[in-house]
Amino acid sequence: MAIPLVSKLLRAHLLELASKDERLDGRGRWEGRETNLEIDILPRAEGSAKVTMGDTIVYAGVKFQLMKPYPDRPNEGGLMCGAEVRPVAGRNWEPGPPSAESIELGRVVDRGIRESGCIDVKSLCIIPGEKAWQVILDLFAISDDGNLFDAFALAGIAALKTATLPCERFEVGQDQKLELSSLPIMCSYHKVGNRFVYDANYKEELGGDERIHITLGEDDHVHSLQKGLKGIFSAEEFVEIMEKAKDTSKELRKLVNSVVGE
Amino acid sequence: MSGNNNADGPQDSQTVVPGENLGQSNEFEAGHGIMIRNDNLVATKNGKIKINGKTVSIEPIHSTYIPRPSDLVIGYVEGCTNNIWFIDIGAPFNAILPMSLGPSKASFGSTRQVIDIGEAILCRVQEVEETHSSVVTMKGMGLRKIRSGSIDDVDPHLIIQLLENNQEHLKNMKEDSDCRIITADNGRIWIDGEVEGIITVRNSLNSLSNNSRLLEQGGVA
Amino acid sequence: MGGYGDIEMIDENGLRMDGRTATDVRPITIETGVVPVADGSCRMTWGTNDVIVAVYGPMEAHPRKIQRQDRAVLDVRYNMAPFSTTDRIRPGFNRRSREISKVTSDALESVVLLEMYPRSKIRVEIEVICAEAGTRCVGLTAASVALAHAGIPMSDLVVSVASGKINDIVVCDLNKEEDNYGEADLPMGILPNSGEIVFLQMDGDLSQEEFQTAWDYNVAAAYEVHKIMIEALKNGGVN
Repeated sequence: MAIPLVSKLLRAHLLELASKDERLDGRGRWEGRETNLEIDILPRAEGSAKVTMGDTIVYAGVKFQLMKPYPDRPNEGGLMCGAEVRPVAGRNWEPGPPSAESIELGRVVDRGIRESGCIDVKSLCIIPGEKAWQVILDLFAISDDGNLFDAFALAGIAALKTATLPCERFEVGQDQKLELSSLPIMCSYHKVGNRFVYDANYKEELGGDERIHITLGEDDHVHSLQKGLKGIFSAEEFVEIMEKAKDTSKELRKLVNSVVGE
Repeated sequence: MSGNNNADGPQDSQTVVPGENLGQSNEFEAGHGIMIRNDNLVATKNGKIKINGKTVSIEPIHSTYIPRPSDLVIGYVEGCTNNIWFIDIGAPFNAILPMSLGPSKASFGSTRQVIDIGEAILCRVQEVEETHSSVVTMKGMGLRKIRSGSIDDVDPHLIIQLLENNQEHLKNMKEDSDCRIITADNGRIWIDGEVEGIITVRNSLNSLSNNSRLLEQGGVA
Repeated sequence: MGGYGDIEMIDENGLRMDGRTATDVRPITIETGVVPVADGSCRMTWGTNDVIVAVYGPMEAHPRKIQRQDRAVLDVRYNMAPFSTTDRIRPGFNRRSREISKVTSDALESVVLLEMYPRSKIRVEIEVICAEAGTRCVGLTAASVALAHAGIPMSDLVVSVASGKINDIVVCDLNKEEDNYGEADLPMGILPNSGEIVFLQMDGDLSQEEFQTAWDYNVAAAYEVHKIMIEALKNGGVN
């Protein structure tokens, strides 16, 4: 990813805005952009979702493959989650092998889903030691106006929740829904103008410092954390954003449930 | 497609697409976005026709900034050597600001002390090479380093709208916000004043951009 | 009517499995401005094909060795998203995508007025989100719409359509099932204002007469698709 020039004036202006509790696009400090979730939009995928957060647009698609279980876990299937930010998504994204940025994106989303245990990997086993399902979640960005992390995580979990195991096509019984026992939700906070804000847009990311990603499951259990980029934060700041993440993750979980249905 | 032939010739404000035949060139001259093919005027851009005297041109729906001499532009310093600053003016190529055209206090080797990387300047395009590389100058009335306020971006063609009708829109924004507003030809706008004022101007610019997006989509705005 | 295997692709009334006649094109929609951060963009659906194209530039060409002193370079990338087909596509280098990127670029270079932007680069990113059949045609057509939307000067739009042969009958715009059983495929890129050709490929087996029929079908269909492209560029909306 090409690193664009950061304007000194932008950083100064973000500080000035923060001192008046204002943001570049007029949002409140903990307010997200208008978020729209669509499901079942990719006819070739076994589960799919599209998330629009302001001008950030991403797709998620679920595919299944048959695999031989790993020798140390003969009763378990697998989950693979990859993020691809191709140059279509913005002028700074470059062609070629996955950049460190897109690998980080994929791995952070992957950990949140994997560690929440929402997919029972044992249920993916068909014949122990012989045959099991591998779930492949592909995250694909179309337009990057900031906070790809939350957009990817939301699209990813929604796509999994709509997914159907293609048993008939692989001749291993009847098609069945992929069961999810919980909905892990990621909330990302960016240090902009020396204070954390929720759901930073591209300009805020550009003129901001470090970011923190929190994935919360049901009952506010913490499943993954990640601090990215240069910057220092205090324990008090972290406590504050964790409190906000509890509220925001509940709202987003409600959104997924209302769109996908229970 | 021959059915595309425009027997009546080009019409003012008509929306056209690349390749569209606008009728015989006869008395017309081809301006921006128009080419002549077999004595016919042909559109090369997606946009609205403008007829100015004998010249037919297209005001594109979207445009990338291409510098022209004497344009007022806002640029960011992207790099420098001992006696040259490289300025991002939002064009395909960085412009050059030689020390001789920069602030007079600059001396050989002190370019970064005078204007540092990441800082912004208000400058004028001095000359443009055939390859679109350009030279900018800070010699002139009001040209200076930008030290405060905010720089917002709009599509360059929206600047024209702001200046229409004797700058009516711009004057209203200045009055409502009590801010100093300088519009540059490369689509950047310098807003200087209290934070509240800057926010007022930004909201007004956003609604202008949204309206133009709606208009482009054939909406009723 | 000759069957292919035990599948009848065309019934006694000359209708195809999806109800189209030999010359009908699948339903098409075009929407511009779908990638808000790009300089120009469009989404084109064609049957169940779903393609998104974003255009960035003109911008400085990097590295310097790819610069052309007298014109801009077109940097076209055609790519299929991993979930765009029934069997997942592994991300990464792919010979098929490379070839399609190249022929698409060659076709577009014939209409984009590159000499207006010496030493610069125009990026065209074609992403196939859902593939049915004929994605290269959709990609090329959508790319010309996205370039126009970005304000890049062009002498004409490019319309790309393919015709092929099933059950020894020439038909226009093969869908997925027809493509699987097809005996020939002739994709073309046509300039709608002059009728000239900027893109041509073919594989399979066609007699001289069948070839001429396929060619004529493509040219006729191109004018229909062109109308939808104009409508999208003038009104931005979905058709």
